[in-house]
Amino acid sequence: MKIIQRLTDLVITLLLWSYFLFGSVAFFFLLYIPAYLFSKDRVRTFQKLSYLHMKIFFTLVRLLVLRTKFVIQEEVRAIRSSVIVCNHISYLDPILLISLLPQQCTIVKSTFFTVPFFGWLLRNSGYIPSTPSEMTGPAMIKNLENIKKHLASGGNLFVFPEGTRSRNGKLTEFNKGVFSIARYCAAPLQLVLLQGTNDLFRPGSFLFGTRNFSRIEVKIIRCLKPDYASENFSAAVLADQSRAFFEDAVSRDADR
Amino acid sequence: MIREEIEKEIKNIFRREFEVENPGLDDNLREAYGFDSIDAIELLLEIEKMLGFELTQEEKKQAMEIRTINQICDYVEKIIRARVAAGK
Repeated sequence: MKIIQRLTDLVITLLLWSYFLFGSVAFFFLLYIPAYLFSKDRVRTFQKLSYLHMKIFFTLVRLLVLRTKFVIQEEVRAIRSSVIVCNHISYLDPILLISLLPQQCTIVKSTFFTVPFFGWLLRNSGYIPSTPSEMTGPAMIKNLENIKKHLASGGNLFVFPEGTRSRNGKLTEFNKGVFSIARYCAAPLQLVLLQGTNDLFRPGSFLFGTRNFSRIEVKIIRCLKPDYASENFSAAVLADQSRAFFEDAVSRDADR
Repeated sequence: MIREEIEKEIKNIFRREFEVENPGLDDNLREAYGFDSIDAIELLLEIEKMLGFELTQEEKKQAMEIRTINQICDYVEKIIRARVAAGK
């Protein structure tokens, strides 16, 4: 019985990653290259294509992994011109957010930018590498100004202030950087809680966990509009407050 | 705003925002206090608040190369002079 279950996990995993791989190749030749060559607003078009690609991926997930229920708050899809702050529990988190937000950008580990095709895709999508050379000096101001324009045009920036995935689902420390970026752009913050993605795709595992009944939930726990001009404003305090809201939401959900 | 006032206000910002008490005027902020690029952004926003106007993108880029309190004071003085000369 266990072998059949493992086999199911393996087959579904291979199907999903096959879509990811071959779908990316098809998107590359049929959509990304024409967009690269002919689109008037390449960044925006690339973001929309990635949104479409990931949307198809999660439609397949829903069709193949019937025991996983998706509960996506409608308001999440309607977020615009905001800095979205999320907890991070699985590799699925960023691609799930891309599948919900048509105009999105984020800060990505710089090593991903060196991967052939993927790096090209990230750069043309207006994503920002977290490498010191991009986040220091004049390059940082250029990146921040691009984020500001992106937000002003209705796009969103999503960031995981924990920096990396939590291995045990518990929140780790929040880096204040994203809050300074929000202040620079004078943007509102949407605190979005992700749950259950680590049940479907566990950190450290290659296989999707398709056998367990699980629930993936995405919801806004708080919308913050800080008074950035206030004498008392502090990015570090805002980071601590935001983390406390997440702690509270996680513990309330655990009590249910 | 004279140099002494600028220096005093910058030191206030460091105490309030970065919990750095009495930084040396020529200390390398990165090496001595672990001042990073995100701190530099925070400092720029505080300087804007102190001056009461928004800095241009070019002015902000210049600030990202600053390493010491003395250089910050020079930078603020230069911006004030430029604005006065431009009649703003």
